[in-house]
Amino acid sequence: MNKELAEPGAIKSAFTTICPKNHGAIKLDKGVTLAKGRVHEVQGDSAEMFALIVAATLTGPLFWIGQGHDIGSLTPTGMQSFVDPARLVLITGITRQEILWAGEQALRAEGVRCVVIELQQGPDLKESRRLQIACEESGAVGIILIKGRAHTSAADTRWQCHAARDHDMAWQWRCVKNKKGKTGTWAVTWRGGLDGPNTVHMATATAA
Amino acid sequence: MVRILSIWLPQLPLDRLIRRADPRIYGAFSITADIKNATRLTHVNSHGYKAGLTPGLSIPDARAICPDLLTEPCDPHREAQLLRALWRWADQLSPRVALDAPDGLLLDISGCAHLFGGEEAMGNEVRTRLMDMQFISRIGIADTKAAARAMAQYDKNKVSISPAGKTYNALQKLPPEALNISPQLAGELARSGLKTIGQLYQIKSSELARRFGLHLTKAINASTGQTPDPLTPADADPVYAARMTLPEPVGYVTDLEEIIKRLGQSVCARLTETQKGARCFTLIVRCVDTGEHYLSVGFTKPCFEVGPILQQFSRPLEQLKIEFGADWFRLEALNIEPIRLRQTKFGDVSNAEDNFAQAVSTIGNRIGFDHVHQFHARESHLPNREFLLREAIDQKQKPVWKNTPRRRPLRLYNRPEYLRPIKPGRPPIQFEWRRNCYQTKSAKGPERLTAEWWRDTDMRVRDYWTVQTTQGPRFWLLTYPSQTPAQWFVAGKFP
Repeated sequence: MNKELAEPGAIKSAFTTICPKNHGAIKLDKGVTLAKGRVHEVQGDSAEMFALIVAATLTGPLFWIGQGHDIGSLTPTGMQSFVDPARLVLITGITRQEILWAGEQALRAEGVRCVVIELQQGPDLKESRRLQIACEESGAVGIILIKGRAHTSAADTRWQCHAARDHDMAWQWRCVKNKKGKTGTWAVTWRGGLDGPNTVHMATATAA
Repeated sequence: MVRILSIWLPQLPLDRLIRRADPRIYGAFSITADIKNATRLTHVNSHGYKAGLTPGLSIPDARAICPDLLTEPCDPHREAQLLRALWRWADQLSPRVALDAPDGLLLDISGCAHLFGGEEAMGNEVRTRLMDMQFISRIGIADTKAAARAMAQYDKNKVSISPAGKTYNALQKLPPEALNISPQLAGELARSGLKTIGQLYQIKSSELARRFGLHLTKAINASTGQTPDPLTPADADPVYAARMTLPEPVGYVTDLEEIIKRLGQSVCARLTETQKGARCFTLIVRCVDTGEHYLSVGFTKPCFEVGPILQQFSRPLEQLKIEFGADWFRLEALNIEPIRLRQTKFGDVSNAEDNFAQAVSTIGNRIGFDHVHQFHARESHLPNREFLLREAIDQKQKPVWKNTPRRRPLRLYNRPEYLRPIKPGRPPIQFEWRRNCYQTKSAKGPERLTAEWWRDTDMRVRDYWTVQTTQGPRFWLLTYPSQTPAQWFVAGKFP
């Protein structure tokens, strides 16, 4: 007789790992959502903006993890119109391992809804899978800002965010990878207002 | 018969600095304090006395007498700590020791003096031992607390002893200030011509009480031993620690966790009893072969529960290598702080705060608390001084942010980065930065900021321009108008 099968708990736990809990989604604008309890990758020169707008739709502390010079160049006065700087906890890691570990711990911590991780090179499959599991457990949103090249990863979506030249609160966001939905390009403008659900206006743009 | 020994440390604040080998004490030096609306000298060193300085002078007067005078404000907290340390040291002399703040100790030496070879020998021994630790002291021994203190502070001899039962006579020659009375009352006595305690004895106590109040007669009675005035030893600092010795060494992680749990329960029970929490826990593990290992964890909030302690220790325990087992453990709580038991709030507000503190503790313990920061606002008009990074662990109050009046970039480069203008202009029409070429589409500015003149750093005037490039990125360019030819820098980048 197989003992492992006889235990009902074993089957249940196996089931939950296969089908992760649904944590809902963040509504960025009409028809555009970002799944909670998932890792998302962002590239481009205004990638921070994507992270800030996601953070603005959530409440609670915002962990920002990166290397010393990245964290050192962040200004609270610049992000004040998007996110209250008092929510921010900055963690400086020295090595890539440390940053990834701190990101995993922060994602696992209860009460933390949003974690931003700044990396030079994108996480590989193993690294992103670990972050993904941590997200699934707590329902937090992990956002990885990639400066250099992205690799094949377990992230849910990958975005490329650039500043648009139209006016000073305009961006262009391109979703280049989406595991569960469609990709596309949006012209994004800031609606104003702090910590609200309707922070940005996203109009579908033709592929650039 | 009760015998009391009083140790008086006449220059305790000065001795504190002498013990620290402060180089300033080799010249005229004094400790100061704010007394009567002026900063006055309180403890002058020997060089200062030679130069003609006396305690009580205000600093301007003292500087006029001795221009080379160096001073240091008194630090009552540190001095109290030093006195408390001496109080623990004095345990070797007598089992009953009381603090006599701010600069003395009182020892009940009934039945102890013969161990040192008599009272005189004991007094000299105490003085020598204190001298070895660079403390200058005076000793008085008498039947009562007040008399012993008076002998130490007002008698000519460095070790002055009034024989048992002769306290009444020994006090006769001393001035009335020696009686532990207020300076005001002492002044009144001096004005009425009463110069010694002996003169007070000759007046009927009822008349003294009528003229000067009951306090004086009470002080006389207490110091001559007519009314009891027992010595109350100060309470020891509570130590929140627990120790465990095992008959056989253990090495499994589960065993170690169980030990921490039991030690933690004992420590935490005492902490909760006194409504205290600790910010740091140290665990000493004595291995059979490699000796003692010190593991320590820190907390963002004062902790008084076993669960978080166990959780934070799991990581250092993993790294500890125990080959042949450990058989002695000690858990000590450090940085004790009072905790306020909060009223349960509606919703998860307090719960979320706890979770947040725990997340910060976990990350801080692993990568160091000096790597976990928060932004705090600061009053300044310069963009790089408008905010401050503070460690998240020593967060006395939460950061508060008001809306900024000006738009600032999201990234501010700590040292503005030089850009190479390709087509010059004000700002450059085309420029190269970080190996990318940008063209200016529109520019706003300049925002002219002057340096803070009260800080003698970079005093140049700065001009900031907000530049929108045709490529997309928005920069904050910096130039110094005083410089010719103009140089341009990228100060920051807008989102």
